[in-house]
Amino acid sequence: MSQQNRYTQQNPNPMPDRNIPKPPDTIEYICGDCGAKTAMKPSELIRCRECGHRVMYKPRTTRIVQFEAR
Amino acid sequence: MPPARAPVKRTAASSSAAGPSTSAPRAKIPRAGPSQPDIKPRIGGTATTKGKAPLRPAITVPAIDRKPEINQGEEEWQDLMKRTYGGQKGADWYAKGVKTVEDKWELLPAFLKVKGLVKQHLDSFNYFINVDIKAILAANAHVVSDINPYYYIKYTDIRVGQPQRHDSNQVASRLTPMECRLTDSTYSAPIFVDIEYQGEEKRNKQRGVQIGMLPVMLRSDLCHLSGRNEAELARMGECPMDPGGYFVVKGTEKVILVQEQLSKNRIIVMRDSKKDEVMAEVTSSTHDRVVKTYVVTKNKRVYLRHNSFKEYIPIVIALKAMGITADKEILQLICGSDERYQEAFGVSLEEAAKEKTFTRRQALEWIGARVSPNQAKDDGSYAQKLTPVDIAMQALAAMVLGHVPVRNMNFRPKCIYLATMARRVLMAMIDEHMVDDRDYVGNKRLELELKKRMDKILEKKSRAGPFDAGSLIKQGGDPITSAFVRSISTGNWSLKRFHVERAGVTHVLSRLSFIAALGMMTRISSQFEKTRKVSGPRALQPSQWGMLCPSDTPEGEACGLVKNLALMTHITTDVPEEPLIKMAFMLGVEDISLLTGNELYRSGVHLVQVNGSLIGVTHTAKKFVTTFRKLRRAGRTSEFVSIYINHHQKVIYIASDGGRICRPMIIVENGRPRVTTEHVRLLKEGKVTFDHFLRAGLVEYLDVNEENDSFIACYESEIDEGTTHLEIEPFTILGAVAGLIPYPHHNQSPRNTYQCAMGKQAIGAIAYNQLNRIDTLLYLMTYPQQPMVKTKTIELVGYNKLPAGQNATVAVMSYSGYDIEDALILNRASLDRGFGRCHVLKKQTIPMRTFPNGTHERTAYPDPLPRPDAYAFVDRADGMTAPGATVNQFDVMIHRETPVDTRGAATEGYKPSPITHKLPEPIQIDKVMITEGEDGSLIKILTRQTRRPELGDKFSSRHGQKGVCGLIVPQADMPFNDQGINPDIIMNPHGFPSRMTVGKMIELLSGKAGVLAGKLQYGTAFGGSKVVDMSQILIDNGFSYGGKDMLTSGITGQPMEAYVYFGPIYYQKLKHMVMDKMHARPTGPRANLTRQPTEGRSKDGGLRLGEMERDCLIGYGATQLLLERLMISSDAFETQVCETCGMLGYNNWCPKCKSGKGVVGLTIPYAAKLLIQELMGMNIMPKLCMEDSV
Repeated sequence: MSQQNRYTQQNPNPMPDRNIPKPPDTIEYICGDCGAKTAMKPSELIRCRECGHRVMYKPRTTRIVQFEAR
Repeated sequence: MPPARAPVKRTAASSSAAGPSTSAPRAKIPRAGPSQPDIKPRIGGTATTKGKAPLRPAITVPAIDRKPEINQGEEEWQDLMKRTYGGQKGADWYAKGVKTVEDKWELLPAFLKVKGLVKQHLDSFNYFINVDIKAILAANAHVVSDINPYYYIKYTDIRVGQPQRHDSNQVASRLTPMECRLTDSTYSAPIFVDIEYQGEEKRNKQRGVQIGMLPVMLRSDLCHLSGRNEAELARMGECPMDPGGYFVVKGTEKVILVQEQLSKNRIIVMRDSKKDEVMAEVTSSTHDRVVKTYVVTKNKRVYLRHNSFKEYIPIVIALKAMGITADKEILQLICGSDERYQEAFGVSLEEAAKEKTFTRRQALEWIGARVSPNQAKDDGSYAQKLTPVDIAMQALAAMVLGHVPVRNMNFRPKCIYLATMARRVLMAMIDEHMVDDRDYVGNKRLELELKKRMDKILEKKSRAGPFDAGSLIKQGGDPITSAFVRSISTGNWSLKRFHVERAGVTHVLSRLSFIAALGMMTRISSQFEKTRKVSGPRALQPSQWGMLCPSDTPEGEACGLVKNLALMTHITTDVPEEPLIKMAFMLGVEDISLLTGNELYRSGVHLVQVNGSLIGVTHTAKKFVTTFRKLRRAGRTSEFVSIYINHHQKVIYIASDGGRICRPMIIVENGRPRVTTEHVRLLKEGKVTFDHFLRAGLVEYLDVNEENDSFIACYESEIDEGTTHLEIEPFTILGAVAGLIPYPHHNQSPRNTYQCAMGKQAIGAIAYNQLNRIDTLLYLMTYPQQPMVKTKTIELVGYNKLPAGQNATVAVMSYSGYDIEDALILNRASLDRGFGRCHVLKKQTIPMRTFPNGTHERTAYPDPLPRPDAYAFVDRADGMTAPGATVNQFDVMIHRETPVDTRGAATEGYKPSPITHKLPEPIQIDKVMITEGEDGSLIKILTRQTRRPELGDKFSSRHGQKGVCGLIVPQADMPFNDQGINPDIIMNPHGFPSRMTVGKMIELLSGKAGVLAGKLQYGTAFGGSKVVDMSQILIDNGFSYGGKDMLTSGITGQPMEAYVYFGPIYYQKLKHMVMDKMHARPTGPRANLTRQPTEGRSKDGGLRLGEMERDCLIGYGATQLLLERLMISSDAFETQVCETCGMLGYNNWCPKCKSGKGVVGLTIPYAAKLLIQELMGMNIMPKLCMEDSV
């Protein structure tokens, strides 16, 4: 039995499919200063479009993450 | 004495309440009017004694010219000062004075508010920026071309701007320290100079030329963080609790440790009992060189020793060369009229006569012939050859005792200085007790090395100078910037001109815990060698009371050499000495150059020295010193100038140099402390600051030397007639780290020292911005608690806001056998609820390199995927994982690609070089940061791990009692009391008798009382909550007064036979965790050269069977086990040996015999084969001779 089946059987609210939502093709990075989102391509200069700050963070993953609660 | 103001006038003014102020023009400050009803009436009451003559005329009036910031309290303060110093002192005023000063410790937070915990660093840096840098520039201002002296550059001024981004294309914008940490750049500010240089025809001037960047100390005057409030700091991503005082260089935080060394420009007399020699030593330090001069005895004769001379110079010849030719004068200068000294010095006088030096010229020639040749070359930059007389003259003027200036060839001051040194030597020869103690703290100067590197750089500049002006300055920019950055980031200081070469001056700021960072800022390192076995410099010096912490020093080799500042110390910076000299003359000091030797050493005459140089004599020593001190209290000199009498030497020393440690003390006059409860009340209301106390002469700074000239009461009850000062608070003898220990005065002293080391390893909160920081390694506690039993120091340093530990309920009893040797039993349910749980955050930096041919590395999503499982969380868009992802061993975090060809023409080919997770435990991605670094783009990944305590994790209380977790027990099996309370930790009682940590027991008692009363208790050193009071609280709440409870066993259900000591103790989780250390391997990687297993956990290495273990096996005769351990399981190597020649062969062939006849196979360790081959490489032929095995 695959993991996917187990969820649907045991869980009344089945987990969404692992591949949905799909990761976007370009990622909007979050500015470390003003929090605005800027889409950047790998070759581009790393800079916030709003404030010109140069520290950018990657947003949280869209994939589903499970933790073991201990 | 300053003029006494008519106090009667003031009495009239204040008693008539609202009347127009009739007194002095100082009435700028509003008079106390009806607006202060709570004070006024009392004055009215005392006014019944109107007209009574003042007992003590006002000595000081608060200096009003320097206007303090707080204005609302100013009125009340003025009023209070008036009542204290004014004439009107009624009976109840005296009654009030007798009362003890309540809460005088409130001065301590006030002091820290002004000075801060790391003030010594900030002061030093600010002084460097504002004063020193200009002085250094002035000393090196003129740069003349070597080729054509017509061209020159002259620096006229120097300034340092504020930290900003150094882009060429962008407008300068503010650079915050947090941004520097994140982008691995340097927090630095531009240095500007004004220059003047000779062009082709005319002189040119240029203003504001940038010559480089200077790293800026955080929270210094130049820093953007100085004077900001919490909200502004938070906006810049800074923690308000962070002390500052460090640099951010290439993204790492660097501290320059305070260095301890013997004071400069002071005479220090030493005695070598073995050789029966006495030596006086002076290290002369000026802006351009540092030289040592000695006056030594040899065969009872006195000599001058200096590096400039090839041999010892008899002191009499040296003095004659400097212009004192009369033997009588020499004798008077050195010995005065004391016959003992004259007798001892006679031999030295004879020697000069034997050498036939009678005139100055003869003496100079004698010396000139003995100037060491390279020294002469160094100085003699002139083309023409110098005569021996000139050489000697030059050496004596510039090199010997370089800090005593010789102006217009006036050698008189230098002669007297040299004579003083000789006199001190004679004194020590006659009386053994006249020797100085090298370890005496008063003889030490703490130095922050900032100053020196600047010199080095400007010197470099002047070497680069000669070619031309203008354009040259611009290219000069880089060396300055890089020199600063390099010296701070590597910690290597090497200054040829000052003969200084030092490594390890800077350290990376330890961010293991808040306390570790703080402790690092107060650390002092000594210049002594660690290997030398002398106990003197390591011992606890009585003179370090209140200045250096007696507890906080490391164990082991650096013990006693690395020290820490106490809570209330201040390190001075230089104060100009010219005004002091002027002031001394005005107070009746007679100029030294007008006196003969005879007058210097008469009885009742005291010499006056300012910063080590003699300026004159006084006949009224006591009066001079007291008047000088009064002037200082009145604010006429800097508060950090110290003055004291040395009665043995009959010298008054005035010191204003930098690097002295001093601390504030309450002044006591006429048996009463000048600070009263009233003053403290104003302070507590926040209306006045520490500066008010200082300026009003209620409190003053004393350095170690002046402390010895004072009579200081520790408590108010100890004040008697002669008392001059009162301690502000006794617990300030401890430093910031030792201050965390509750009831340290009840512990055996080494336990406090152990805790000082362990407090720095405790996991806890680090800073308010801890989750925004990306550090290489960061341990954070999930649920830190402030201690139940705190100390005043804890509140002052902010440990209660950034704690590192939890209050565990401890039962002191035996439980199973898993608690022997200090092991602790932990409650499983407590762990489930979060006791001891911590995060481990680790950073990985991935720079995207750029190569010479213009290609650079990139991130990408590979197609096709090499290992789909490993790429589960890698995003298609940018080839990086995102926060939140769980990464297992060997999973890819970043898929990086490197160009195939990095040298030749740019091609399209890329090969993958992914960043994977290497450790076996899975981790979470916490942050992925991308930025533009100083060279190319930069990716930083922060990974996170949450850990709950497990078997073998290390814990410690605050009393040097560490232990590992020995067993985790289900809650059901833990003992419980009648209220059903379980312990979190069970500790074995055997930990107490030998350790004698009574403080821990009292902590438990106070903690328990605190829990029951719902209050936090105090365990402040030499104070804190009293045991009697705590017992009373326990009784009131129905507990036993002794802290013991009746427990029931969780295993048997029966009551325990004995009562158990039971209550909360603050426990720290230390950074040593089993998960980071656990290691085993069946087989694995081997080192390339020897084919033996690698070493260390990080390389998946083997566990070594060392030579001592080998000895055991030999002793036991376990040959087969030995063979298996040392060869078969390690580096067994199948090889072949030729029986005929004994050399190694291969493929059944012996290369020497050119035959395969005698070749046999055998197994030897690869290391042995390697040895044989290496010996052959050295032309040694080892032979293996075979024997038949039995």
